[in-house]
Amino acid sequence: MRLLLVEDDSMIGDSVRQGLRQDGFTVDWVQDGRAAELALGNEVYDLLVLDLGLPKKDGLDVLKTLRLRGNRIPVLILTARDTVADRVKGLDSGADDYLVKPFDLDELAARIRALLRRQSGRAAPAIEFGELRLNPATHEVTFQGKPLSLSAREFSLLEVFLDRPGVVLSREQLEEKLYGWGEEVESNTVEVYIHALRRKLGQDFIKNVRGVGYMVPKRS
Amino acid sequence: MTSIRRQLLLWLFIGLSLSTVVAAFAVYARAREEARDLFDYQLQQMAAAFPHEGFGPITAPFPDESGMGDVVVVQIWGENGVQLYLSRPGSPAPQSMDIGFSTVSTPDGSWRIFSALVGNSVVQVSQPMSVREELAASMALRTMLPLLITLPLLIVLIWITVGRGLKPLNEVASAVSRRSADALQPLPDDRLPAEVKPLVAALNDLLLRLGRALSSQRSFIADAAHELRTPLTAVKLQIQLAERAVTDAERASAFAQLKGGTERAIHLVAQLLTLARNEPEAAGRPFTPVDLTDVARQVVAEQASIAEARKVQLGLSSAAPVPIMGDPEALRTMLSNLVINAIHYSPSGGAVDVEANTQNGQACLVVTDTGPGIPAAERQRVFDRFYRYEAASVTGSGLGLAIVRKVAERHRASVELGAGTDGRGLKATVRFPKV
Repeated sequence: MRLLLVEDDSMIGDSVRQGLRQDGFTVDWVQDGRAAELALGNEVYDLLVLDLGLPKKDGLDVLKTLRLRGNRIPVLILTARDTVADRVKGLDSGADDYLVKPFDLDELAARIRALLRRQSGRAAPAIEFGELRLNPATHEVTFQGKPLSLSAREFSLLEVFLDRPGVVLSREQLEEKLYGWGEEVESNTVEVYIHALRRKLGQDFIKNVRGVGYMVPKRS
Repeated sequence: MTSIRRQLLLWLFIGLSLSTVVAAFAVYARAREEARDLFDYQLQQMAAAFPHEGFGPITAPFPDESGMGDVVVVQIWGENGVQLYLSRPGSPAPQSMDIGFSTVSTPDGSWRIFSALVGNSVVQVSQPMSVREELAASMALRTMLPLLITLPLLIVLIWITVGRGLKPLNEVASAVSRRSADALQPLPDDRLPAEVKPLVAALNDLLLRLGRALSSQRSFIADAAHELRTPLTAVKLQIQLAERAVTDAERASAFAQLKGGTERAIHLVAQLLTLARNEPEAAGRPFTPVDLTDVARQVVAEQASIAEARKVQLGLSSAAPVPIMGDPEALRTMLSNLVINAIHYSPSGGAVDVEANTQNGQACLVVTDTGPGIPAAERQRVFDRFYRYEAASVTGSGLGLAIVRKVAERHRASVELGAGTDGRGLKATVRFPKV
């Protein structure tokens, strides 16, 4: 899952990015409102973590513009403005959740998972797909009732597929979900991970649509 | 405690009582005088009414014509000093040797006597003085009576008037006491008497200044708490990352970050303290003679290693002493903040120049850098505490220029931000007032 983090403070931004990466998210980080709008133009992000007091363009303005354009990306506000009025204003401007500084990294990750879950229409925290069961919080996977060991990238890739079953995803789209800015993308890595997943889940689990990309077919 | 009301009432009552007593005495004295004239005239008339041929032996009492028979005693003396007649036998009326009016004191009181020679006899008409005094007293009383009756009315009137006169003061007092410490709205000053208006105006002025000081304090605390939250949030996150670290390398890097975060929080607290110490309300150290060149030399020496580390050329370009009166500690802090800002915003290979000089008779401290400068539109706002211009590149407390301004204000100096030499970079000038 790829997140956009907008935070002007370098220390906080750096720590949050580091922490969320450890939790298996792909994180891009920008430090002002204009850069945030530029990045959001790509529409590759699954969630936006937004600080409010930003240089160049205030966080709330960024959020309002975003919603005005009809963008439905889940937004979590991360701010030191902690009055009820501020929170109400933030939520009413289109935010889905509001976390006040200083916050806990684990709580931030949990709230992000909750927002993503809601976005994909799931009620239970675990993703269930046929005989496959993924827990995004603990990264535990069971297949046919047995625990399955997946690397962080494999887990992320599987999560992307299961989030949109039946949808064909191109290699570029998958790369975008897996790699943040500045992360080296070696050629064929997506294929390598898909190969690994097929080996663990069965050859037919991920289908190849020639010339277009890959998909996990819907199960009835 | 002195009370205007008590003082007013006390002196008004004393004055009123004294004037009443004095008036009563004056009226009584006047009445007595009138009574004397009246009765003396009557005594004289009575004496003159006797026949001039003299008297034979008189046995029958005179008819009491004046109606004052009970208080007038008539005596007639023969030429040989024999009492021919006494209108009231057994009366204690004394005898006077003088012809005409005289006053004689007896153990039974004073008598007024008129003696006249009638033929060979002496006619003496006497009257006790008490009669006159009674009359005078009753006349005086009658004159004073309306005054005495109106006196209580007057007292009530004074009481009410004083009370009403002082009512605005009481109203102001209760309006002040109704004010809570955090609601310093001005007192209503309409319909106030001219004497109370200046007081209320002064009070309102004080309330306004208090309110301003209070709200600036409050916003300072709010700002400070808010700003402290940022470095503390970073520290908290860094601690969590350190906890999560698995390898030694990860842990070392997490602790290095944690150290940086903690140092930032410490720096912010130190800057907040400096700012609070330079508030005009804080009793600062007394001003002493200071040489600005000396201050500049110290600051350049202090910051030389930081400049070196960032590959910025830092130098002092003046040597002549620039003496002023000031707080050397605060001036050093102020210049340090300007120099640190200049170093931080200068690119690698840039130069920061510090100078103390005299321009148009005004002592000046000038710091010039070759950084990106500050657009004219932002040059005022950057002095606001916690305001950061283009925060992304440099992490500071956001208090540096606020401290500069506070110290400058304490020295009644102005701070100007302008473009550096050749229109590039930033030139900060602190201009001290002419001596």
